[in-house]
Amino acid sequence: MAEKKLSKKALSTSFHHWYWGHLTCFSQEHMQTFGYLHSMLPLCQELYDNEEDLARSMNTYTAFFNTEPQLGTVIVGITAGLEEARANGDDEVDDETINGLRAGLMGPIAGIGDSLVVGTVIPILLGIAMGMSGGGSPLGAIFYIIVWNLFAYFGMRYLYFTGYNLGGKAVEFLVGAQGMAIREAVSTLGGFVIGAVSATWVSVQTSLALYNADGEAYLVLQNKLDEVFPGLLTAVTIIICWYLMAKKKMSPIKVMLILLVVAIVGCAIGFFNPGLSY
Amino acid sequence: MSISFIQAFILGIFACLSSMPGMGSSSIGNYTLGRPLVGGLVCGLVLGDIRTGILVGVAMQVVYIALVTPGGTVSADVRAVSYIGIPLAMLALKSQGLDPASVEGAGLATSFGAMVGTVGTVLFYGTATLNLVWQHMGWSAVEKRNYKMIAVTDRYLPWISHIAFSLIPTVIMLMLGQTVVEAIKTYLPMDGLAMKSLFTVGSLLPCVGIAILLKQIVRNVTDFIPYLTGFVFAKSIGINLVSATVVAAMFAILIYKLKMLELVRPAASAGGGLDDDEEEDI
Repeated sequence: MAEKKLSKKALSTSFHHWYWGHLTCFSQEHMQTFGYLHSMLPLCQELYDNEEDLARSMNTYTAFFNTEPQLGTVIVGITAGLEEARANGDDEVDDETINGLRAGLMGPIAGIGDSLVVGTVIPILLGIAMGMSGGGSPLGAIFYIIVWNLFAYFGMRYLYFTGYNLGGKAVEFLVGAQGMAIREAVSTLGGFVIGAVSATWVSVQTSLALYNADGEAYLVLQNKLDEVFPGLLTAVTIIICWYLMAKKKMSPIKVMLILLVVAIVGCAIGFFNPGLSY
Repeated sequence: MSISFIQAFILGIFACLSSMPGMGSSSIGNYTLGRPLVGGLVCGLVLGDIRTGILVGVAMQVVYIALVTPGGTVSADVRAVSYIGIPLAMLALKSQGLDPASVEGAGLATSFGAMVGTVGTVLFYGTATLNLVWQHMGWSAVEKRNYKMIAVTDRYLPWISHIAFSLIPTVIMLMLGQTVVEAIKTYLPMDGLAMKSLFTVGSLLPCVGIAILLKQIVRNVTDFIPYLTGFVFAKSIGINLVSATVVAAMFAILIYKLKMLELVRPAASAGGGLDDDEEEDI
């Protein structure tokens, strides 16, 4: 039997199905599962003439899937390589290996992807773009549209084909010693940049001040706090939000409701005052 | 300034494409068209005032710069922020005669965005729930081995969810725009407690977005150190984001090399130990 090899065309169709469809039919129950099925379909159809084999392989990908979609493309690429191996009679590749691998990679990839893509690349690009769009120029928005989309399209394409070519080796790389070292390094990078992003773009300020008889402020709380640590209130608020979600297991919506209450009470007692008027 | 049906319809289509989960998927939809900065450009083009659109978009983008949706939990809905919030804020600015470049203008835009974005999460859950129906149809088709239905389920049927939860709400809100804006102005004066609180929440909400990101990274208290270092570099030393990334990359390389040493060396010495045993056997 001749070795089955996926054609460039099938791989490209599969990649584009993922690129366009990973989050179109989203529900809380299945998340990216349908995008994944849609992406694997052209590959399985090319590999199997036999209806039983096709059904068996497609059935593999009905298992739940959700990860960070940009970086997660590498997982789709890896399974493309594994499916090809299975079609060529590799006994070591079965439903269990493929789904074990998908389930094992979803979490780490989502972790790296969120800190790298959403936490680092997008805020940096948006930060530059907002600077360029000061004064109402469309330049920044156009810059962001072009740079981000080139980065996302070619980055995802590269990840897909790298995953496909490396197959099982990519898994070793991602969860092995080197992968662990990369994860540590990326989370430090992400943490550092997110810190810079929050210092640049987030600002929690108090308007609380105490006045003497002449109406001069003798205590401006914001200035005192900034003398202790510049941006103290911002950093503390973020860490409290982290604590509530990570340690107290609250949902983001609940934390936002708490902030709403804090804002209303804070405004009523004069701790916050954005100083607006029509 | 008012919004015609055609303009509202066009913005409604953009809402369908950009929402999370949107018909443009995440790269083009959520992360491009859904960003308020880009939404500002689109709304500016459609409504014929690019400058106001961009300025409103920038003001709202600040709030949502780190908007993540881990595990499908959303804290704000981008279609509502970008294609309902921005046009309404533009209308409000025009009717107040406020300059969008002024502090008050940006403040008004931010509060509008925060309000609409938070209320808009209803649209997110609506879309995701209606998609369950299409997925149900998809599953039974997969069981019957009718694979053509996968493409239909993934690509075409969710449009129905979006007509219901993106297009129609956007068109209605924008057509009622002037009335909505007037009502908000009458019932929620800017210096009243409600609007003050709304604006304050607008400045507190980014903390949640940042905290969601931190949740992925920080497990021990010591993991806060890189975060705080970045904070100090930007706040106290005043370097910008690109420079901060360069410094961060330096630290990342150091950690990678250290970690590799730590992980590879024990393996090597264990290998060495094995050699010793063999020699003894001889």
